[in-house]
Amino acid sequence: MRDVAIVSVGYNGRFVAKRPDINIPELIQAAVENALAKTNLSFGDIEAVIEGNMPTFEGVNYPNLWFSEHLGAVGKPVMRISTGGTTGMSAFHAAYYHVASGLYDTVMVVGWEKHDEGDVQVGLIGIVLPDVFAMMQNFSPEMSGQGTSMFSGGSTGGASYQAMSYLAQSNGSVEHIDMIAAQARANAALNPYAHLQVPGCKPEDIAKTPIISYPLRFGHTCPASCGACVMILTTKEKASKASDHAAWVKAVAGATSDATTGNLVDGQITDPAEQAHCKVMAKKAYKMAGISDPMKEIQVAEVYDGFAHQELLWPERLGLIPEGKGPEYVAKGRLAIGGDMPVNPSGGVVCTNAIGASALVRVAEAALQVMGIAEGGHQVPRKVHNALAHGWGGLFQFVTVTILGDAPRK
Amino acid sequence: MAMERNVAIVGWKQTKHSANYGASRERMAFELVKSLLADLKITKDDVDTFVLCCNDFQDGRTISEVYPVAWIGAYMKDQTKVDADGSDAVLYALMRILSGNYDTALVIGWAMGGSEFRNQSIMNYTLDPIYERQLGLMNELSIAALQAKAYMLKYGLSEKQLAAYAEKNLKNAAKNPCALRQMADATPDKVLQSKPLYLPLRELHGYPATDGACAIFLAAEEKARKLTNKPVWIRGAASCQDTYYFGDRDLVKVESLRKAAGRAYKMAGIKDPSKEVSVAEVHSTFVSQEPIFAEALGLFPAGSGAKVIDEGLSKIGGKICVNASGGPQSANPFTVTGLIRVAEASSQVAGKAGEHQHPGAKLAVAHGQTGICGQHNTVFVLSSD
Repeated sequence: MRDVAIVSVGYNGRFVAKRPDINIPELIQAAVENALAKTNLSFGDIEAVIEGNMPTFEGVNYPNLWFSEHLGAVGKPVMRISTGGTTGMSAFHAAYYHVASGLYDTVMVVGWEKHDEGDVQVGLIGIVLPDVFAMMQNFSPEMSGQGTSMFSGGSTGGASYQAMSYLAQSNGSVEHIDMIAAQARANAALNPYAHLQVPGCKPEDIAKTPIISYPLRFGHTCPASCGACVMILTTKEKASKASDHAAWVKAVAGATSDATTGNLVDGQITDPAEQAHCKVMAKKAYKMAGISDPMKEIQVAEVYDGFAHQELLWPERLGLIPEGKGPEYVAKGRLAIGGDMPVNPSGGVVCTNAIGASALVRVAEAALQVMGIAEGGHQVPRKVHNALAHGWGGLFQFVTVTILGDAPRK
Repeated sequence: MAMERNVAIVGWKQTKHSANYGASRERMAFELVKSLLADLKITKDDVDTFVLCCNDFQDGRTISEVYPVAWIGAYMKDQTKVDADGSDAVLYALMRILSGNYDTALVIGWAMGGSEFRNQSIMNYTLDPIYERQLGLMNELSIAALQAKAYMLKYGLSEKQLAAYAEKNLKNAAKNPCALRQMADATPDKVLQSKPLYLPLRELHGYPATDGACAIFLAAEEKARKLTNKPVWIRGAASCQDTYYFGDRDLVKVESLRKAAGRAYKMAGIKDPSKEVSVAEVHSTFVSQEPIFAEALGLFPAGSGAKVIDEGLSKIGGKICVNASGGPQSANPFTVTGLIRVAEASSQVAGKAGEHQHPGAKLAVAHGQTGICGQHNTVFVLSSD
């Protein structure tokens, strides 16, 4: 198998709530130019482009066609990947396979979302209860309006169910979610690209925000952001010429569980905090990366925490911290930038969520940590040999895992 | 760009395409995968990775694949989705096997274009939202009509000859058991009497609104030889995207398809496709695209559309058989159509096409497109050896 390196990470700029000054192709072009400018490469060196976002959010189907010129992709292969929240990382995996297959040497992957041009919750409700929702829409025009408002919990409704279950299993409380949310907001203030930045945020600040769907507060939830993330991948032979920095892809894995909120498997109802598929994929990824003790061998993790409790849940399920120890770890500061298992030094998804970009940003941030060039003070102090990036999507059905290292796989 | 492993298509299956399948997508996908695995005498555990293709706009729900995933046996297994025509999903599955990470892959796509959505209104969502879509002049039909007219004027293809392309495909479809629109008694006059869409295009130049699904099973050489005695080898595969705005590209030349085909032929070591390729399955959403795409694929000389149809060069038994299955005129479940082209081309190469078999098919080309009038094209070269 070929070794594949990430040689550049680009953003269009800081992620923000609204960008009325530019349209979607311009947003993407800014990130593409940023990624290229950090390398010795030009448009001509990019052999293929992989693109992804949430299809329905901005009302444009197959938007990759629209961006042809802005991606510098006229006359090149473009592959569009879309898998809900995991879209960005699924697109990254496709980029990895473009190179690993031997068909291409240098490729670019783009993940983006411009949430100010669509209604996110309307799109998300369709995942929670798509059949019921479709039925409502089809039944009559009057019903379609009610169908929309009836399930207006969107993804928060499902997430609160998961959070309750998690807190019960791990002996946690709402205060522990306050703590991790405060850590995320404070970390985000050290990341010049993050959306919600609150320097020195304290759990008390989060505790002042109202409950949205118990146990989740407003301060535990993510914003809807506008932004694009671009990465350039290449082969071992071309990596050192392309850039001074490289993060090596050591493992990729992705899987899907069942679609219903309580997974109904063989008549047994499991709960959305269990995440068996996440455990299975983490194991698979560690095996591929040659990692036997993730708690020791992984120095930093970027997990997809659309809701703050997930920043405790995922490290447990991924085997980065012991099961049930999330609340204890956050209380002791062990998940902080200077802790022994730093999680989301970037501030994570709970501070910046441009959905189609979010899972790609996890890989990008993990790559920056491995390269040692995370800007603005969110670089972890210890040497990063291996970093883990994680994504989830749908209503917790999808999971993707990527492991990056400072050297190619042995 | 040579391939590091030999990868073959070892199994494929389509639904009997219909205007209304009468059950859910999940049921359709389940029945299809179940029967494909049974044909191959394997179980879902023999599938290393699943690559799905579908489109949320067309399915009318967000992240549409979450539901069928469990039904196709991908629960807790390695799975991803391509949001484009199914031919791109085959390309991704090929890459996954070539990497050495996987030995087998199952590709599946489905669409409910017959019973649940209006194709044209969905296609409008690919248009530029700021200008083209609002203006209301551009849509899938009007652009295809402009493309058809451009070719007819440039190369002297008459309406009668264009209708003869439709006649050929509808008659071919009558021999294809999976086809939805079958007309054994099709004539150019019947085509010219069908409902006008945007002239010169009429209903029978187009496609029927279709519910349908297709699944394809790929395997690396060692596994492929165990599963079948007639593997269909993927010798070349490439894709290419064009400019976005219709005014920026030559709709008759289809530069991106030429580039994709060129790359695929180079991989396959084909120097002159017009001499070496014996059968082609072309994703010509409207019949007017068949000569345009066949020429871009290098199968016939530029502008030879009138000659090809008059002399029957592209019929079953002709020089290079194009769309023996009836092509998209026989059935066009959106996003699945390119996947069906790969399946039908495989059928031809394996000599399993039955009544619509082109005699002596050894080397085939399969083509899939995404967008309107070939904005994005994917090409496969398939061979029996």
